[in-house]
Amino acid sequence: MADGRSLRSGFIESWKRVPDHVALEVDGNKRSYDTLGTLAASLAATLAREVPDGPLLTAVFGHRSVSAFAGILAALFRGHGYVPLNSAFPTDRTRSMLERTECTCVIVDNQASKQLEEVLTGVTQSLVLIFPERVDVAEFAERFPDHKVLGSADLQPSSDWSEADFDVDPNGIAYLLFTSGSTGIPKGVMVAHRNVNAFVDSMVERYSITESDRFSQTFDLTFDLSVFDMFVAWECGARVCCPTQAQKLLPAKYIQERELTVWFSVPSTGVLMNKLRMLKPGHYPSLRWSLFCGEALPKEIIESFAAAAPNSIAENLYGPTELTIACTLYRWNAQTSPANCELGLVPIGEPYPDMQVLVVDEAFVEVAPGESGELLMTGSQLTLGYWKDAERTNAAFMVPPGKDHLYYRTGDRVRRQNGDSPMVYLGRVDNQIKIQGYRVELGEIEMVMREEASVDTAIAMGWPETSAGADGVVVFITDASVDTKTVLARVKNRLPNYMAPRTIHCIDEFPLNANSKVDRKALLQRLREKP
Amino acid sequence: MQESEIIGQLRDWILERAGAASDRLTDNEMPILDEGLLSSLDIVEFILFIESLREEEVDIENIEPEVFTNLRTLYDAFFADKSQVIAS
Repeated sequence: MADGRSLRSGFIESWKRVPDHVALEVDGNKRSYDTLGTLAASLAATLAREVPDGPLLTAVFGHRSVSAFAGILAALFRGHGYVPLNSAFPTDRTRSMLERTECTCVIVDNQASKQLEEVLTGVTQSLVLIFPERVDVAEFAERFPDHKVLGSADLQPSSDWSEADFDVDPNGIAYLLFTSGSTGIPKGVMVAHRNVNAFVDSMVERYSITESDRFSQTFDLTFDLSVFDMFVAWECGARVCCPTQAQKLLPAKYIQERELTVWFSVPSTGVLMNKLRMLKPGHYPSLRWSLFCGEALPKEIIESFAAAAPNSIAENLYGPTELTIACTLYRWNAQTSPANCELGLVPIGEPYPDMQVLVVDEAFVEVAPGESGELLMTGSQLTLGYWKDAERTNAAFMVPPGKDHLYYRTGDRVRRQNGDSPMVYLGRVDNQIKIQGYRVELGEIEMVMREEASVDTAIAMGWPETSAGADGVVVFITDASVDTKTVLARVKNRLPNYMAPRTIHCIDEFPLNANSKVDRKALLQRLREKP
Repeated sequence: MQESEIIGQLRDWILERAGAASDRLTDNEMPILDEGLLSSLDIVEFILFIESLREEEVDIENIEPEVFTNLRTLYDAFFADKSQVIAS
């Protein structure tokens, strides 16, 4: 980065400029830039003391707590990238992420600490475990004798940290997030500082964010859309408002009571609000921006939301984690946009200023305007690839024929922009689906099912269908002797809630298509006829 | 329906949806959200289930988030004094 900026830079500048402004509001607690920055600096100095050398990643195990947000900043202040871990995930998955990233320090909040013993079972690497919310950590020291345990009383003074002491490589990892993998092993996407700074700069300019803005924070920290909420807000001295789990169930009340100005969620949250009669016209006058990303956006949802937030501009953002949060966008216009919708979905629009689009056929030849093909993209937000996985990186990040630099294959089918007709999303080219915004490889669920049910074939399907994708997953097998209840319970121990099948359907035999492959369309039809 | 019957039905719905063992949630005061037994993925269907038990619509705007804390708070909010939450 020519100007030496990194993901932490915006927060630090706001900390200097508006130290008393509220940076974070969570569970009734407000933290100013000064308070949050001071805690993060203290944690960063502690990280430097405990692990002066070694891996450039720090894990943060927690969410919806001051410690989790301070932990993310601390990793960045230290010059590390952060690896978010999620206590809502099965412990085996969290342990695998921790071990694969080779983190030696973990910052843990109170809620996640309840799960820590299970997560650390079998972990051979000695870790430094930091509990910023605990003064007395004797109990943890006894429970985790193989690891070094630190509480709030063991932290270095914040004055021992200074930005200049901890350089950041702009090509270094700012955060590493895991996405579902078709082989059953989640892929760790490495996002560099220069990638995410390009994204944040685009967003700050487009949305004219000010110190008075209040951002929703609806996403888990393991979901990259959370990066928008935190770092676009903090870049400008604005406030991040993080609802508790209970408040998240009733987003209408939260928007109104906190007088949010920037709303950002997956379309499924809009669907939920619509079903619960929360999108009444004029209900959210405080909102300036109504933004959606993470899955296909149904036309009726943006129409209802725009009417409910009449003072806001509504936009549909699109992008995979590999292209840093979002890389195309479309501004909704109540008069003209409905005609541009296809399959009832809002267009995904134009690429960000530093991003380029290529829509190709199966031979990677660019299709004509208005034709459909797979979306490939490149530009300043093209990430570093997958953590320690050259094979899958090379498969997804490739140089198309006739080009001289890397593009990312999104796996998404789109219709190429044609004159005034914007780019529209048409579906996937593979077996990946989105469930409430979470990217899910059906192959990963099928692999876990095969292992747990001891069957040769298991077919996972997104079900029930929604206009944005699916609300959940069901699985088909052909072995009637399988104890489905027991298998479902075991599968839930290995997959996050949103990936775990709701039902296992046992059928006599799989329908086959002309290529003698399992006919997924026929299975879908079966579900439609007999859910 | 009696209180115990309603709480039992709420418990059964939550446990089935979460795929949790039947011996979970034996205590009516056990936190549902902290235990990961209910999430935003479930909320629409859960509210519809509550409405089917009540045989009346819920006024969603007058619900406080705390009503989802445990089985007892759910019962108190949606069934003990329905007049507070029934849509007009």
